[in-house]
Parts: sequence; C-alpha cells; structure tokens
Amino acid sequence: MDLSDYYGRRILERRVGQVPAGVQTFPTIEIGANTIRCYRCNHITPKMKAALPENEYYCPHCINLGRVSTLTRFYHVPEPNQFKINYPVLTWSGKLSALQQRVSEKVCRGMTAHLHQLLWAVTGAGKTEMMFAGIAAAIERGERIGIASPRVDVCLELFPRLKAAFANCDIALLHGRQELPYHYAQVTVCTTHQLLKFYHAFDNLIIDEVDAFPYAANDALLYATRQSLKENGGCLYLTATPGDVLLREIKRQRLTVSYLPLRYHGYLLPRIIVRLMFEWRKYLKKDCLPPAVIRQLQRSLESHHRFLLFIPHVTDLKSVELAIRHSFAEQRFATVHANDSERLLKVQKMRDGEYDFLITTSILERGVTFPEIDVYVLGADDPVFSSSALVQIAGRAGRAKSRPDGTVIFWVNSNSHRVKQAVRQVNYLNKKGQKLKNELSFV
Amino acid sequence: MSCLLCSREIPYQITLKDIFSFDEIPTPVICDSCKNTFTHWDSDNQCKGCGNGKAEGRPQLCKECQRWQQLYGWHLCHRGLYHYNDAMKNYMQRYKFNGDYRLRLVFQREFSRVVNQSKADIIVPIPVATATMQTRGFNQVVGLLREVQYQTVLQVIVEDKDTQSSKSRKERLKTAQPFGLISPEKVVNKRVLLVDDVYTTGRTLYHAASLLKQAGSQWIGSVSLAR
Repeated sequence: MDLSDYYGRRILERRVGQVPAGVQTFPTIEIGANTIRCYRCNHITPKMKAALPENEYYCPHCINLGRVSTLTRFYHVPEPNQFKINYPVLTWSGKLSALQQRVSEKVCRGMTAHLHQLLWAVTGAGKTEMMFAGIAAAIERGERIGIASPRVDVCLELFPRLKAAFANCDIALLHGRQELPYHYAQVTVCTTHQLLKFYHAFDNLIIDEVDAFPYAANDALLYATRQSLKENGGCLYLTATPGDVLLREIKRQRLTVSYLPLRYHGYLLPRIIVRLMFEWRKYLKKDCLPPAVIRQLQRSLESHHRFLLFIPHVTDLKSVELAIRHSFAEQRFATVHANDSERLLKVQKMRDGEYDFLITTSILERGVTFPEIDVYVLGADDPVFSSSALVQIAGRAGRAKSRPDGTVIFWVNSNSHRVKQAVRQVNYLNKKGQKLKNELSFV
Repeated sequence: MSCLLCSREIPYQITLKDIFSFDEIPTPVICDSCKNTFTHWDSDNQCKGCGNGKAEGRPQLCKECQRWQQLYGWHLCHRGLYHYNDAMKNYMQRYKFNGDYRLRLVFQREFSRVVNQSKADIIVPIPVATATMQTRGFNQVVGLLREVQYQTVLQVIVEDKDTQSSKSRKERLKTAQPFGLISPEKVVNKRVLLVDDVYTTGRTLYHAASLLKQAGSQWIGSVSLAR
C-alpha cells in the first residue's frame, strides 16, 4: 500500500505484523465494563451485541465501512498537504447575481478564517456556485478540502460540476458503491459516511444538504465532521432546512449563519397551504380519493400545470394510482418509489414532458427539478415526512423563472408539529426575503 | 426489537402462553419479510446424495453425486436446509465475509435443532484456517451452533491463499485435501455428522468425509445451512 493512502486517514489493518516506517497506529475500540465504544463511529454498543469469541469485540454499527474489531488497528499518517497547484484554479466562467455575490464573499471570508459556518439558502438559490470562490481560494492556499453530503445522489451530481469548475485540480469521489480505489487528492467529494475514514485531514470541509435522509444532521454526523477536520479546520454547512441540531448550534453561537432567502430568480418561496382532509385513508380503502383532492388536481391540469403528488407510504401507491386512473383516464402519469427499478427513467420522462404528473413517495423530495410544477402532499402529517422534508417538497414548486410561484397544498388528517414547523420555516425565510427585496429596491 | 437484516422494527408481543409455557421465549430476530426471502428445500423427489437435483436411476442420485460415487465408491447423505439463493448469498456475505457475528442468531436456533436431531455420536464442524480465524475472529460454522456438543477433530493443514468461494466450479473440484485429523481415535466406529455452512460442489465435505472414513468411522452424515 502506498504511504499516501494513509495521509489524513485511519485505515484498518490487521493487529499483527510489521508497521511501515512513518505510520502511526491507534487502537480501534475502547472496552468498558459493559459496553464498547468504537473509535471510528463513536457508537457505544453493549458487549453482548459486540462480542466475538475469545474476548474479542467488533463494532456492528459501522460494519458497512469494513469491520472495526479488536483484531485490527488503525494506521495513520498525519496530513502533509502535499499538493501541486495548477493555475488557473477556477475554470468556471458563470456569473453570480449581486445577492449571490454578497453571500459568496462572506462564505469565502469565513473559509479563510476557518470558521464553522452555516449557509441557510432557500431551495433553488444556487448554493453550489456560491462555494466556488471559497474553494478556489482554499486550493490556492494549498489546503485539503472535503465536500460531503449524506446522500450519494447529491455527491454524484456535485462531482461533475466541481470537476468542470476546477478542471486543473485533482478531485476524488468516494462513496459506498464506488469501485475505483481511493487516491490522495486535494479535493475529495464523498458521502458523510466516508468521512469516518478520515482523521484530521481537511483544512476546510463543506457539507451539502446536511439535513438530508438518512444521516440528517445528528450527533453522529457532527462527530464525523469533527474528527475528519484538522484541529483548526473550518466547516461550512449548506442547507435549505436546518434541523434541530443545527438550530441548537446556531443558538449556542457555535455557528455563524449567512442567509440567502431569495431564489436565484429573486422571487419568494411559494406559500404552503394546509388543508384539512379528514380521514382520507377511508377513501383510499375504496380505491378512490376525496372529491376535493380530485377537484384540485383537475384544476392544475386544466391550467396546464404539471404536478407532483406526494404520498406517505409505498403501500398507498397502488390504491392512489387506481383512484387516479379512474378519474383521469386519459392523462399520462407514473408512480415512483425508492425500490422502483425504472425510477430514473420515469423521472427523465417527467423532465421531458412525457408525463403530466408523477405520484411519488418522499424519494423525490430533493435533488430533482421540474420547471413550472405544482406540488401536492396527501397526508403531510404522516411521521415519514419530517419538517425539513416538507420544506424540501414545497421547494420543488416555483423553481423556474417562467413561473416563479406555484401551488403547494398539504392535505392533512390532523394538524401536526412537523407541518406547522415547515410552514413556519417557509414564512420565516419569506419574511427575511421580503425585507431583503425592500432593501434592494431602495438602493 | 429491530430486524438484524433490514433493521426495521419487528412487531412482536409476548403472550400469556409464552410466559406460562416455561420454555424459552423465542424472540424473533428477523422480520417476516426478510424471513420469506429464504426458501427451504422440500424433501420429495430429490437426490439421496445431496438433497438436490433430479435423481436419476438407482440408487437415486443426481449426476454430480454419481460422479462422487464413482470417485470414492460411496456417497454422502447430505442435507441442506435452505436454497443458496440471492438472499442466502447476501446473508453469507454479511455474516462470513463482512464478519457481522450477530447474524449467527438468524439461523442458530433452527440449525442447531436440526443438528441435534441427528442420530450421530459425534458432531464435527468444518474448521477454518488459522489465517481466517485471525482476521474473521470466529468460525462461521461453530457460530451457527448453540447448545450443541461438538468435537474439534479436524484442522486445516494446507492453507490455501484463495477462498473456496472465489474460485470457479472447476477450480474448486481440483482443490487438494486441506484437512488433517487431530485425534483419529475419537471417530473410530462412531457415527459422525459433519456440519458446514454452504454445500456448493461437495468438494470440502468429501475431503473431510474421506479422512474420517479412513480413520474408521462407522457412518458419516452431513448437514449444511445452505445448499
């Protein structure tokens, strides 16, 4: 194994054998009286569940990254920042709006000072482009940069964009399904899971869509961030919907916040309308939908607006589809869920305008953009929709300049905390956005 | 309780009957939908040698087992519990190769019961190589046994660098005898049950069985979790 593979990383090796020169070793597991703690994922497991024969232990929690056990140890070489910088660093030639420019400069200053900061920008604000200036400056300083996201699809989408923007820089992509071997690069794009393999590696770390499923901003993520960063490293969280953990960090003033409450086209977010739809599941049992829902969908179609209809569970998909086929026999549509093998194809067809609407579970909550659509959620009070998911879902509407607003309706069986929180977040951002718009129009 | 395989919550409630039955309460470790992905072998119209395949002629053996019959002059009476389907392959990957030792609990109870039901005098699990033991930390066959009195009779003496599962069928069949006997006197005139995790070509089990036969075992049977 090449020594550079150990730079800023903790690699599992067998406990026995000669250690190469210049490599530090660390233990993998802390053994307590009744529990063990994994030094990689910081998870505490009762001894009973972590035991191997002959008084050995392993961590079942992070086993997908390769098993951490007392039969192994970590190899580590401190990050040497051995990079050759090729100019020009930034090969992106796009232009930022005045508003984006302002935020971009603030982010760049924060990254230079290695601050822990949060960029709270609405869905569809153009977050990625606003990081470019900061990343470019960091590359020029010879820093190692990590860009992580909890979701693979976000990484896969980011990677080509970054490659195009920093064409002269070596960028590595890491995720669980990646087949290429790891290589040492100045910029690493990876899933937040993969951060656990790094140790005091990054001078600056950017985490995109922090609040996304499955590793929503929780303490495990914060741990991964902390230990993959150098001791004086800076961190930038990007999100449209900060969860409770991040809001707590803001309150404790551990994070500095930049807001971008307006979309790139300068309009406010579509307002969420919440409507009571009492016992809609009773209708579903008879394979039909409440008449008010049908009427609303009809209205969308009549005004030639396509739409997404979100429902809570895969199991509801069948009856909703039947009900809709009954009412809208001549419309073209499809259903999408997580284990759908044709998911990408269907999404592409929707993009190409071959469908009038999609019925989907929360799988399409983020990352997909269809212009000029309406968004409906049936059963928004279901616990599968977290408040951040709801904000994201609502954010699917009004993303195009040609139709910056759109109808967003949540049908609920009863009012829930999560729905209220989502509405409150959108209203809060719109208030900030309105203020900013007023300021701008004065200038 | 959450399912060991898909980590979804298992709906489970202890009944009064459980409490008053004075038996151990069998808490489920995997959910029903995961359980249904594994399929049992049913017992009719099968080869007498490996419990699989179309039996042809007399004695009712499939083509593979007829070949073993020719080679050794006898054949095993193997019993596999489950089909080696995608779900089982995935399970073996996680349990054996990723080393998730907890997953032994998925089949431990059922497999041990089958092993204990046999009429054998001694039960011999197939051993793993020392190198494997050092990295994996457990013997996957022994892990599947609970409250089973087994004997360590076999050991791996030729350490093969490649694992069986990384080879093609042809290569596997060519594998040389990897085992040696530790205490041959234990098996003389005994009925022996060999226990393995997966039966694919039969190569491993036939190697082990031929050693035992030479040492003078009276009868040799074999069981594996998957076939």
